[in-house]
Amino acid sequence: MSETVSEKTRDRIMYVLAMLSAALLTWNLYKIFMILPDEKNQGAIYRIVYMHVPSIFTGFTGFFVALAASALYLITKDLKYDAFAAAVTEVSLAFASIVLATGMIWGRIIWGIWWAWDARLTTMLVCWLIYFGYVMLRRAIDEPTQRARLSAVVSVFGCVDIMIVYKSIEWWRTQHPAPVLSVRDGGGMGPGMESPIYWNWLAFMCLAAILVMVRMRQESISREIDSLRRMAHAY
Amino acid sequence: MDPRNFTYMFYGYAAAFLILVVYVVFLFRRQQKLTNELDRVRRMLEKN
Amino acid sequence: MTPFLRATITIAAKDLRSEFRTKEAFNASLSFSVVILVLFSFAFDPTSEQMQSISGGLLWLVFSFASALSLNRSFARELQNDCLDALVCAPVPVAAIFLGKALANYLLLICVEITALAVFALFYDTHFSQQLGPILLVIALGTWGMTVIGTTFSALTVNLRMREVMLPTLVYPLLVPALMAAMTLTTDLMNGMPLGGDNLLWLRVLTGFDFIYTLLAMVFIDIVVVG
Repeated sequence: MSETVSEKTRDRIMYVLAMLSAALLTWNLYKIFMILPDEKNQGAIYRIVYMHVPSIFTGFTGFFVALAASALYLITKDLKYDAFAAAVTEVSLAFASIVLATGMIWGRIIWGIWWAWDARLTTMLVCWLIYFGYVMLRRAIDEPTQRARLSAVVSVFGCVDIMIVYKSIEWWRTQHPAPVLSVRDGGGMGPGMESPIYWNWLAFMCLAAILVMVRMRQESISREIDSLRRMAHAY
Repeated sequence: MDPRNFTYMFYGYAAAFLILVVYVVFLFRRQQKLTNELDRVRRMLEKN
Repeated sequence: MTPFLRATITIAAKDLRSEFRTKEAFNASLSFSVVILVLFSFAFDPTSEQMQSISGGLLWLVFSFASALSLNRSFARELQNDCLDALVCAPVPVAAIFLGKALANYLLLICVEITALAVFALFYDTHFSQQLGPILLVIALGTWGMTVIGTTFSALTVNLRMREVMLPTLVYPLLVPALMAAMTLTTDLMNGMPLGGDNLLWLRVLTGFDFIYTLLAMVFIDIVVVG
């Protein structure tokens, strides 16, 4: 990954992604605020869905990518996959935080409370806590291969909870709205109201990719520091 | 309809972007710390 | 009997024997759960109607806290005199060591829980006798879930310097789906509702949780302990 692509190319990719994401976000926000009408029952607040849903898509995509990277690490024992998994998980955790925050603000208006303890919200909070535990675990271990090995296992264990979050609105009668997207036989949104969700997802994915690249460079710097330190001790 | 409907929509968007900004600041600070540390270790090695 | 099974039983018997000699974990978990049960009487009015609707939750809180006491030390106990290294070097699969330890922990926890359940029934006037079979089934399933996760993470954190901090931050979030199911089921059963209808979903969640995590633990324990 970071080793195969030269510094310059990576910087160029990051600029292109940043520009793409900024352009997409500007266009989407213009469409969301200026063109789309208020929703019939919810009024203006429904627009939070355009932050909420793309963030969870980005976050869960990230957690699954992290799962794949963790599995690859366990198979190949190559630390670059571990660095990738760590970076992706951390960035996804940021997007999962956005999901919780926007959801709470929406719930304050629609339900009148910040937090409704239903299965969807609870399992999502638990998911956040599990991956927070992953980040904490990485900080608690200094030895790189041990850290990679153990956090990869936690990543695998955590992914089971994502399936529960995803299925929770089908399994239980939750307060959380049923799926509104047509891909998941919801299709409850008006014409033209659904597409900004996907475009925002693309913008968030570009943004997440930039953050992951920055985060991975940090991993390689800290690995360099480690090896220099080891050299210093060898003297 | 709740009169705060419109304001809270902006709170929602503000919260989302705020979290991103906080994370970017966090990344930036760690980057600085790591670069400083790298410099320090390099200089330490040169001295020896 | 296959060699795997024999190794499993040997490890379980070893753990149970050493526990039986000191009764360290058993006494700690049991006295801890009794203390929590006493403290609950100050947090809630034990005679009110409300008590019935939260009884399952209370019971599982007691179980999950008490289980942490004995599960956390499951692998850490082997650190003295490098017993863990010796175990890993022994010509048995790591999965057998794990399963043996899990079985020993499971039996121990079940004993603690049955005693705690009796104390709970005495102090809080709950009527679990009408649904005793299903309640025991839920306890059996829920405890297995706690045991598998607890034992796995006891192995995972055994060499960490912040073991005591990392264990609860990792274990409890992972346990939530199982605890949610067990709490809801136990409350319903204690209120005299039979298993069926909406309950079956929770039972499926609990069984699925046990199955998936047992499978994952058996596959990954080798990576966790040996590398």
